[in-house]
Amino acid sequence: MIHALPLLAPLMLAGASFYAFRAPGLRPRRAIRIVELSALASIVVAVVSGIGLALQGPGTSPPLGFGYFALAARLDMVSLVMLLLVSFIGWAVLRYAGTFLDGEERQGPFIGWMTATLAAVLLLVQSGTLLQLVVGWVASSLLLHRLLLFYPERIAAQRAARKKFLVSRTGDAALISAVVLIAVSFETGDIATILAAAREGGALPLTIAAAALFAIAALLKSAQFPTHGWLTEVMETPTPVSALLHAGVVNAGGFLLIRFADVMVHAQVVLAVLVMVGGFTALFGSLVMLTQSAVKTSLSWSTVAQMGFMILQCGLALFPIALLHIVAHSLYKAHAFLASGSAVETVASISRPGPVAIPNAKAVGQAFLLALTIYAVIGVLFGLADKPPQALALGAILIFGVAYLIAQGLADAAPWALTWRTSLYSISAAAAYFALQRISDKLMRDTLPITPLPGPLEWTLMLLAVVTFGAVAVAQSLFPLWAYHPAAAGLRVHLANGLYANALFDRLLGGWMLPRTASAPPASAKE
Amino acid sequence: MTEMTTVEILHGEALSRAADKAVRAIPPAWPLTATVAVNPFLDQVNETLDQTAARLARIGGVRLALPRKHYAYKIAAGEITDEDLMAALQSNALSNRIDLPALKTAVAEEPQPVVALPTVAELAAGGTGTDWPGLVSERIGTFAAGFFDQGQALWAASRRNGLYAAWRAFATHDLTPEIFGLKGFSIHVDDTPENPHAAIEQAALSLGLGAEPGTYFHQLLLSVGGWAQYARHIQFKAEIEGRTDTTALELLAIRLVFEEALYEQHKAAIESEWQQVRRAHVEPISPHFDTVIDGLLQVAAERASQRKLAATLAAPSAIKVAELRPFLQAAFCIDVRSEVFRRSLESVDPGVRTVGFAGFFGLGASHKGFASDVAEHRLPVLLKPSVFSCSAVDHDAAADQQARFRARAVRAWGRFKLAAVSSFAFVEAMGPVYAGKLLRDGLGFGTGKGPDAAKPRFDPSLDLDARAVLAETVLKAMSLTEGFGRFVLISGHGANVVNNPYASALHCGACGGYAGDVNARLLADLLNDRGVREKLVANEIKIPADTVFLGGLHDTTTDVVTLFEGDLENDIAPDNINRIRHWLAQAGSLARAERARRLPRAAAGSVIERSRDWAEVRPELGLAGCRAFIAAPRARTAGRSLEGQAFLHDYVWRKDEGFRVLELILTAPVVVASWISLQYFASSVAPSLFGAGNKLLHNVVGGIGVVEGNGGNMRAGLPWQSVHDGVDFMHEPLRLTVAVEAPQEAIIDILRRHAQIRALFDNEWLTLFAINDHGQIAWRYENGLRWRPQKGLDLVEPTKIAV
Repeated sequence: MIHALPLLAPLMLAGASFYAFRAPGLRPRRAIRIVELSALASIVVAVVSGIGLALQGPGTSPPLGFGYFALAARLDMVSLVMLLLVSFIGWAVLRYAGTFLDGEERQGPFIGWMTATLAAVLLLVQSGTLLQLVVGWVASSLLLHRLLLFYPERIAAQRAARKKFLVSRTGDAALISAVVLIAVSFETGDIATILAAAREGGALPLTIAAAALFAIAALLKSAQFPTHGWLTEVMETPTPVSALLHAGVVNAGGFLLIRFADVMVHAQVVLAVLVMVGGFTALFGSLVMLTQSAVKTSLSWSTVAQMGFMILQCGLALFPIALLHIVAHSLYKAHAFLASGSAVETVASISRPGPVAIPNAKAVGQAFLLALTIYAVIGVLFGLADKPPQALALGAILIFGVAYLIAQGLADAAPWALTWRTSLYSISAAAAYFALQRISDKLMRDTLPITPLPGPLEWTLMLLAVVTFGAVAVAQSLFPLWAYHPAAAGLRVHLANGLYANALFDRLLGGWMLPRTASAPPASAKE
Repeated sequence: MTEMTTVEILHGEALSRAADKAVRAIPPAWPLTATVAVNPFLDQVNETLDQTAARLARIGGVRLALPRKHYAYKIAAGEITDEDLMAALQSNALSNRIDLPALKTAVAEEPQPVVALPTVAELAAGGTGTDWPGLVSERIGTFAAGFFDQGQALWAASRRNGLYAAWRAFATHDLTPEIFGLKGFSIHVDDTPENPHAAIEQAALSLGLGAEPGTYFHQLLLSVGGWAQYARHIQFKAEIEGRTDTTALELLAIRLVFEEALYEQHKAAIESEWQQVRRAHVEPISPHFDTVIDGLLQVAAERASQRKLAATLAAPSAIKVAELRPFLQAAFCIDVRSEVFRRSLESVDPGVRTVGFAGFFGLGASHKGFASDVAEHRLPVLLKPSVFSCSAVDHDAAADQQARFRARAVRAWGRFKLAAVSSFAFVEAMGPVYAGKLLRDGLGFGTGKGPDAAKPRFDPSLDLDARAVLAETVLKAMSLTEGFGRFVLISGHGANVVNNPYASALHCGACGGYAGDVNARLLADLLNDRGVREKLVANEIKIPADTVFLGGLHDTTTDVVTLFEGDLENDIAPDNINRIRHWLAQAGSLARAERARRLPRAAAGSVIERSRDWAEVRPELGLAGCRAFIAAPRARTAGRSLEGQAFLHDYVWRKDEGFRVLELILTAPVVVASWISLQYFASSVAPSLFGAGNKLLHNVVGGIGVVEGNGGNMRAGLPWQSVHDGVDFMHEPLRLTVAVEAPQEAIIDILRRHAQIRALFDNEWLTLFAINDHGQIAWRYENGLRWRPQKGLDLVEPTKIAV
């Protein structure tokens, strides 16, 4: 029965949401308290579920319903991690919104929608049946849509929501088709049974097709290139929605791939596509982010990039690491959005201690050598030799990132004390990263499939990824030396515009057309 | 051919003048790192409110008044009386066709919404259905955000050769306008002249503006919102330093190039409408009937508030001022938030006296904080720094170095967090740490950055003579030349908030948007200087040997006062310092209890928590509610509640030789107060044009400002949450009432010499009263350097008059 416990969390939140809708719109103090308490209670539910899992092992609750049309809670390491994560972030965001929206006429409905969205996400992550998965997936998206249009009169909000709606419904169609195929080929709606069967058996053609559709659903949900446009334009709604979206809802794509990892590993080609799309989106997003001057916009591009990186990890069949990424990124991004009001102080503090020391080519070369040395040492300490090559490639990419930190400390103008500090930071970052990875691997050993040995296609893609990420890392370390050359000006403009993918999408959908009812342009257009 | 050229050159000059005029019609906006309130009608003070309202209705599509129902409610509630309405009618020469019943009828119905003249972008949008105004604003916003960025983006935009040249480089590469149908835009931009003046000329020629664009250029600058205001601030600062700057003019050129391109593409469809618009722009501005009514209601509401103020000053004081030497004499900023605290502090013990003075305490310091290279101008933005200071510890350079290394390592870490490939490493390694940060900030354990611990000092140091002159000037300006207490607290003020882009707007405006701790500590140190005191004796200022000056910082969010007793050479006896601390703590809790009544969702006990709540959009009220400025001895206002709505400047005219201090008060603190008052006014009545929009949607851009939502125009002014609590206005938009206790002739004499100050009063942007020898508001200033006696009005209950 302990396996049914997680269902309590979305139930309580749904109840709290119902209460909030009935509360007054302005300053619904009691509803705010009840909603926060229900969020705290769902954290407790997640923790108790964790204890249950430790004591009784993984399992699925008895189904509510018949055959394919049943709901059931699945309790295992994957769903537990997601339950803990979503309920914790949900609490933080709801608590924030309770104060932040004070004085807003429709605060009651706002927290109602937000709590309901959270309930849907909690339902999704504990899905024991295919039906529940679909219900949670679609409901979270539709509820979020209401939050994105919290200010329905804002033209930019409508534009973004329309794009999101189109992308999401396409994704829903992909997911539903995938689920139907899976149900047909495995002849059950129970996810645990499907996963066990997939782990035992080989790959059927239908399974491969389902995996492809799962991948499409995930790519669309996680705002991968070229459908990322909506994600970078949803700042037209209060900050807590952005936090919830970027830390909760957008992860559903990755969660889907991880949940069906046993199915996905059979579809090598699909995984290869994920590596390519994810890898490209990661590089693309992180380069565009460099050019963004508005803090929330910059954070949104960062999410696009991070989701790409997570998809890349899934494509490399490194599912435990992808799950770690979801957790780490969600916590970071929720905080970053909620704290985005500090951007003025953060930017002001940059110029206080004097000019930035810029590393030259020699320093960058040394930094990369040092970073690889750190990698080797940590590799020996953490026993990386027995890791799959995919994990090693990923580690190399991350260590290139660390090299940038070392390079800053090696710049000619940087004093020793600074070099020492940045090196210390670099080693801590590298050590923390590999330690977390190891923990994640251990925790997920029995839940998620092991990474298969790479074939020629995988080797090629890995090499490609390591080389391109490495090249970008070097370019970025040498950054100020070339970025302000007039020859780079065009590149910067095109990147700042996200390579126009979003503009073309808007053009296609008529996103910048005025509503037909407005014969004359509204005066508010100038605001 | 020669003739043609001559005509064009003539137009060129006229257009340059028109462009310059349009640029100057825009008020400057300071970056949020250190922002100060600015009068949004800075360039319109030579007009009346009615004329300005008519101008902004034409080009901004806004009314400069609240909805009529606001005034109707006040009339029904008896707050605005018939006498107030009559007085308003009599004060307005244009209103001879309206009588009281007509005015009352007009209040009952809302006026037609005003519609601005359309720009070419709007006309083109009407024709094609594409949101050209939105797209133009989005494109200019994207470019300007990159250009003005102070460090948010790691890859900033190039600033080579100024705004216009940088934009040409941007726009010739940018494909977005063409994707949305503005065909050949990049080529069009490439063909524009490289010189912004020439580009303006060419665009004016294409648009058929002739030599006189009328109000059109001003409208275009309004349409880019905060970007124009920020650009104007660059020019404003340059001119104070004796340089010139064309950033705002270049922004106008950019906006005009868009109009030109859109016009060329849609000429056939919009030509006839455009001709009408062009003609309308050059017509003289005259207020519409509804605008006159708005103006009358505004004046009536102000009359009502002035009546209340007069009654407050006429009522007997609740406090008897003791003749004894005060144990604690505390000087605060004139800021309206000090009024509550001063009143509370005085009520705690008869041994306390307070003083009000501009919060930079006369020290125009350009200051470098501890371990910082950034020179902060901690003085009113109208002035140039007169002294230089730093917080570096002189005998301990190593501490400064260490702090810098720490800060630089943190900065390197910040770049690691944001850079392309390393951001992935950052997230995977450090993401889990943010669970702790979410807990810390969510539960309110985060704290803001307080004042530097290190004592500030002049750098380069000043010689004794210079220090003595400085001390004498400040003391005389404070009217504090005798009767020194045992302890004199010099208290600056600052706000203590977290996660708030508007933190600097809550700091001290007289300190240039920084906290006032540095100036207060510098002054306290200066006045404790034995050498300085000896010199002062020669100038008839005798500071008793046992008088100790203490620097302090009044935290306006929590009403806690920090004392910098560590700055003193000799320790204060524990009894004494504890006594002072105890009084300050008592005053703090009284002030919090009073403020909590006006602050939404607050109780006296929860006020302090708000300063640490990262989700709080109204940590304190700021200067909301400000409506009066009183320059008089404290005895005139002591023991009377001015409800945290009055600036109080101590001034004793009998001590003022040649009325030099009075001149300073009228030309500096009064102007600063008027900027604050009119900023609140404009952000309340016309939030779409002069407000910063909804805090819930704020997206900090470039570390200098905010956009609402995704992008587009930067928004200057005050956010909606700063003037409205969701139910009602926290700031009743009233223009400032200035009451000065000084001989009328002396005031007139000063106004005669300062045309800009006179214009503020003549055109009723401020109302001026003179206080008589009994501390009563006795004369009202009227346009044309005249006084009208205010007999009896203050003493009679308003309802009785109405009968």
